[in-house]
This record gives sequence, C-alpha cells and structure tokens, in this order.
Amino acid sequence: MSTDRVGIIGIGQSEFRSRRDDASYPELVREGVLRAMLDAGLDFDAIEAVVYSLSPDAMVGIGNAERLGVDAVGGRNKPFLRINNGGATGISAVAAAYYHVASGMFDVVLTAGADKIGECGDSQTVLNKIWDPSYERPLPLGTINMLAMSAVRYMQRYGMTEQDMARVTVKNRRQAALNPKAHLRKIVTIDDVMASRTISWPIKLLDCCPQSSGGAAMVLASERFIRDNHLDAVWITGVGHSAETYWMGDRMGNNPTAEHANAYALGRSFEKSYRMAGITDPARQVHVAELYAPFSNTEFHAIDAAQLVARPGESIARLRDGEFELGGRIPVNPSGGTLCTNAIAVTAMARVAEVALQVWGRAGDHQVTGARLGIASGNGGDHQIFGTMVIEA
Amino acid sequence: MGLRVQPGVIGCAIRPVIAARNRSLEEIIYDTAQLALADAGIGIDDIDGIVVASNDQFDGRSISVMMASGPVGGVDRDIMSTPSASEHAFILGALRVGSGQFRTQLIVSWSPTEVSSMSEAQRLGADPYFHRALPLDELSAHALQASALENAQPAARAAAEAIAEKNRAHGRVAWPDPPLHPAPGPMRWPITPTMTSAPVTGSVALVLAAPDFIAERGLRDVAWLRGMGWATEPSFLGDRDLSVAPALAAAARQAYAAAGIADPATAFDVAEMTDATPYSELLAYEALSLCPPQDWAARTADGSFSRGGRLPVNLSGGVLTWNPVFCTGLIRIAEIANQVRGRAGPHQVPNARCGLAHAGSGFAMQYQAAVVLAQEARP
Repeated sequence: MSTDRVGIIGIGQSEFRSRRDDASYPELVREGVLRAMLDAGLDFDAIEAVVYSLSPDAMVGIGNAERLGVDAVGGRNKPFLRINNGGATGISAVAAAYYHVASGMFDVVLTAGADKIGECGDSQTVLNKIWDPSYERPLPLGTINMLAMSAVRYMQRYGMTEQDMARVTVKNRRQAALNPKAHLRKIVTIDDVMASRTISWPIKLLDCCPQSSGGAAMVLASERFIRDNHLDAVWITGVGHSAETYWMGDRMGNNPTAEHANAYALGRSFEKSYRMAGITDPARQVHVAELYAPFSNTEFHAIDAAQLVARPGESIARLRDGEFELGGRIPVNPSGGTLCTNAIAVTAMARVAEVALQVWGRAGDHQVTGARLGIASGNGGDHQIFGTMVIEA
Repeated sequence: MGLRVQPGVIGCAIRPVIAARNRSLEEIIYDTAQLALADAGIGIDDIDGIVVASNDQFDGRSISVMMASGPVGGVDRDIMSTPSASEHAFILGALRVGSGQFRTQLIVSWSPTEVSSMSEAQRLGADPYFHRALPLDELSAHALQASALENAQPAARAAAEAIAEKNRAHGRVAWPDPPLHPAPGPMRWPITPTMTSAPVTGSVALVLAAPDFIAERGLRDVAWLRGMGWATEPSFLGDRDLSVAPALAAAARQAYAAAGIADPATAFDVAEMTDATPYSELLAYEALSLCPPQDWAARTADGSFSRGGRLPVNLSGGVLTWNPVFCTGLIRIAEIANQVRGRAGPHQVPNARCGLAHAGSGFAMQYQAAVVLAQEARP
C-alpha cells in the first residue's frame, strides 16, 4: 500500500500548432505519452492504470474518441477511463489520476490526451452545442461572447479597460516567446492588440487563444514507488473542484447566483486546494501560477479567485505594475498560458505540467527563479466547472 | 481490498425504464438523484462530491455534464464526469472515497432516447476511416462478436437462446406489472430480435460513503465494496479476438484479488451481467471464471444461472428486459448493491451476502468491469 503523497514523475507535451497534419489523432496522443514515459524513465509495463483526457467528442469528430486512443496510451487490458469536464478536463484528468494513486490501489498511473482543435473546422460551432438547445443555444452563444459578457461586467465593476486586457496578451506573448512548446510565440504590443479586429466586444482577435492541435501526458506515482525506485518527483499537495450554475442567465441580471464578472466557483476550488495544502496566505506563499485564461480578460478574475491579490479587481493595477510578469512578484502563466496555446483536451493538463516543471526547476527559458510552490487551474463548460491544484517541490 | 478506505453503497435509485413523457431530461436526472439520496436517508448537503456519466451523442450536447450539474446538486460542489462508461463513474467515486479525501459520493448516469437514430449516434463512435463506413453500430459489433463466438464454441448458440429465455423470464418476475412491455430489439445476424431489447430511456444513481460516515449516521443496509477491477480492449475490432474477453478477465483478476476470492464459481450468491446480447453473458461466464465454455450447454440447460439455481444471474431481467443503453453497466452494479442490501424488490435473493456485478460497454464490450459487493465489510 502506498503512502499518502502523490508525486509527478514524468511530463510530456507535444508540439502545439494550428495544424498537425503530420500526426493522426492517436499519433498525437502517443507523442505526449512517449515524451512523458521517457521523462519518467519507465517502461509501459510499469503503468498500472490510465486516465484519458478528452473534452467534447465533437472536437475530434468521433464519438467516445478515447476508445481510439487505447493503444496510443498502452492501455490494452489495463484499467482505463476517460474524464470530460470541458476545458477543465486536463486538470480533472490529473486529479482523477491523483485519486487512483491516493486511494492506495495503484502505484503508477498515466494520464494523457490530445486534441485537434485547429483541425476541427470551427470550435465555436461545436461549443455552441454545450448550451441548452431550447433557451440559450439559439442566442447564439459561444465561449467568446460568453466571456465577452464577463468582460463587460468586470469593466463595470472593477474598471478594467481594453488596454488592461491588451496588457495581459502582451505579457503572455512575451513569455510564450521563451517557451518552445507554445503555439503563439510572436511578441505583440498593446497597439497591435487594440488594432486587431473585434471578435465580440470588448474581446479582440489578439485577446483570444488560438485553436491548437497537440497532446500532453503525465505520469503520477505513489511516494513509496518514488522512494523505492530512487525517482525524482514534485508533489501534488492540493486538489479541488467546484462548479457554478449551467445557466448564463442565472449569473447575470439583478440577483445572480454567482456574478459572471467573477469566477466564484474557481475561488471555491482554490479554497479547497489551499486548505488541503495548508496554504493560508496565497499572495505570499505562491511562487508561480498557471491559470487557465483563454481570453485576456479572464486572467484578471482568475488572479482574484486565486487570492493572489487582496480583493477582486486589484489584479488590474497589480498587472499594470508588472507583478505577474516573469521577474515579478508572482509570475502568472510564464509558459504563455492558455492565451497562447489551447488544445482544449489537454490545456488544463498543460497548466499542471508547466507548474510542475517550474517547481522542479526544469522550465527552461521561462523558469521562475526559486519557484518551489505553484498553483494551476482549469475552467470548463460555460465558465462553470473549475479544477485547481497546488504543486510543490 | 486495495483502497485506503473501504466505501459502501448506502443508497440506490434504479430506473431502467422511465415512461414519464412529461419530465425533461433534467427533471429525470433530478428525480433519480433525489431518490438515491432518499434511499440512503441523507440529503444533498451530505454529499462531498459527484461523478456523473453520460454520452454527448445520445444527449445531443457537447459536454453533457454541464446540464446535469444543477439537477444532481453539483452547483458549488466538486463534480466530475466519466463519459467513457457509466460504470466508470462508480469506479472514480469509489477511488475518491477510497482515498480518504471524501466521505460521500453521488454517482449518477442516464441514457435518453430522443436521438433520431441511436444507431447513427453510435456509428459516430467508430473510427472514421475504416469502421464507420461499414456501417458499424454497437449491435453490429455485438453481432460480429456473437458470430465469432459461435464459430469458436459450437455450443454457444443453444446456450445463448437459453440465456435469452432465462433473462426474459427473470424480467417478468422483476417487473410483474410493467408500465411498458419490453420491446424486442433490432436484429443483426446471428442475433435475433429476442436476443436484444429496444433502447429505452433510463437512469440510475448510487450513493457511496466512507465507514466513518456510515457509522456516524448509524446507516444499515450497506453494500460494502470488497473489490473492483476494470480494463479496456483496443478499439479496432480487427485487433481483437472477439470470441474471448481478455479485458474482463483482467478486470476480474483485480476484483477477485482485492476481495480475496479464490474460487469465483462458489463465491457469489447472485450476479448481474451486462447482457447486451446473451453472447455477452456467455463471454462473461468464462472471463469471470464462473463457467468454462465446455460447461455452457449443461449449465444453461440445468438452470444453474436461473432463479433458485446455483448462481442466479440477471434476476433483474438484465439488459434483455430493459435497455437504457448508456447506463446499463451502472445499473448492474446498483442491482447487486440492492441485492446485498436486501432491497432488490420482487427479484430479491434470500440473504444475498455477496454479489458480483459485471459491466461492459462499447463496441463488442470494449470496456469491462467487475465489482464485488457484500453485506459484510470483510470476509
């Protein structure tokens, strides 16, 4: 029986691009898996169970497409299941793998997946289908106008401007330029963002994440296995999930159940993760954060929800001050984040992977000096289902 | 078993057929979750976490967990979904309680029938280059498996016919006053209409709890999880020998090892199997080490697996009676939980102390699971 702690012993990320014509869907899964297995230094025989990370089937165009990935992850005749929590799927899959090990039933578990968002045709057409067919789908809603409504409310409540949003893109692109895995690595200016075409006001093209194709995988293990095999690891010390209402209309109007400007359930999820990890003052204890923010405005309420600032909305001023840049007080999304790479099935897994690499001291050119404790998050559904983690060296 | 904390099933709601036409899917899911909580004697405030399982294609939504989070009480609560299979929701819930980090889990799955063509929805799950054009749906895959099994085991045909008759007879006991008569299913050679049943709308929910919660609340009628195992076969049918079920054999090894079961053939008082077709049940007999192929003819003829037999299998009538396609696996687990809790209703086995649930799903049962539940926490 394994001991209490669960460690990360292997990380693999594929190349993320708009198209990956060179790799079929299972081959893309395999790319991340092989890199994670090489990183862990293990044979496939060591893998006792697999958690497959895949969000909407429709992005791949195959129902239950995880079935096609069984051989890619070496899952034949092994315990295997799939997680889908929308955009949070990647972190939820890592969490599910964590529970596999934490339960004491397994010592080594692989979690892996891939997405071909760049080749799906139009992700917003697929994502419109997440809403209720009778009421909200026909508006028509997509994830961009959904979060544009959040941006408008955040502007009204906290004074965020379009230039503030652009600052997030500028920061994250500058950081992505240091990350060879990132999809969008071109450095841009505030003027570039402001001049880009409006997609859904106030969100402009350069405030948006790309549609990426790529895969990722991680290997988790029990502390006993890590110790007995003299492996290097970083540790998952906090795990949480929380959800908001499905209905967009219930998050706006006069008496919202959870204000759409904020990320209520993300905050609740972070509270759980912090409590589990024994973190009482995140603004002082967290060294690095990879927060799921597919549109520039959403990074602000993610920073608020993670309690990296004293009160909601303070993130705007602190970001202007450079506190969340590489070299700042708490670098946020030093990898470039979701804003620069978004292969939805594994985007939130990449958040965990990047934080793990940071506290491991293996993040390369975008390494945060001295990072020993980091946090990651994932957002799924219509900004509805959130997962969070604390990773420590 | 191998879990740090041993979960017990404390509540079940099994609704393999829902005739109400005036309830939306959200309301059906809400009703089912509430029935399971009521059966457990607890409220939603007692639930630490939720795992749901559904199929986007059947639901007609891209991320079907989203819609369900409200009806199952997921708002401001930890919720995850396992769209691979309904039984996987139970497994993840058990792992979460087993980790000691949750005291309770609500597990919910559903399977609607509003989709214009279930066959077409399933066909989308086939590989787009090779299999989808065949065209392949789940029943076609089951038929290929049946054909392979008949070829490998000549006794399979007669045994399959006997199983179909047995399970339908069990269904008549379990559903003495059915609101609907089970409709024969479509056929694909060599599967005849009486070897399947038509898809129906259904749902199922279970409540899992940790021993300290069960003791604190003074809960009785607990089905303790003694062992569970799950495994998958590859997706390409051409890569598989369809006349055997190696993933189920692997799952059974896990479950039996955890439960300390050395002789499965004599260990259980009752079993439920995912009889998508009777050939699926035959394959399960072998893979679960309950009956080797050479004994299929004799054991199915002498009533060994019938009511009053050595090991009654599918007293609920199984999938051959009601077929809510996506959640049939989780229903098998809930049926066994209710048997060992003494709450199975008209098809209750007297003093069922230990039961075995088999859940299989996907093309030709790609996903397989075995779950051992018992009245006593330990042997």
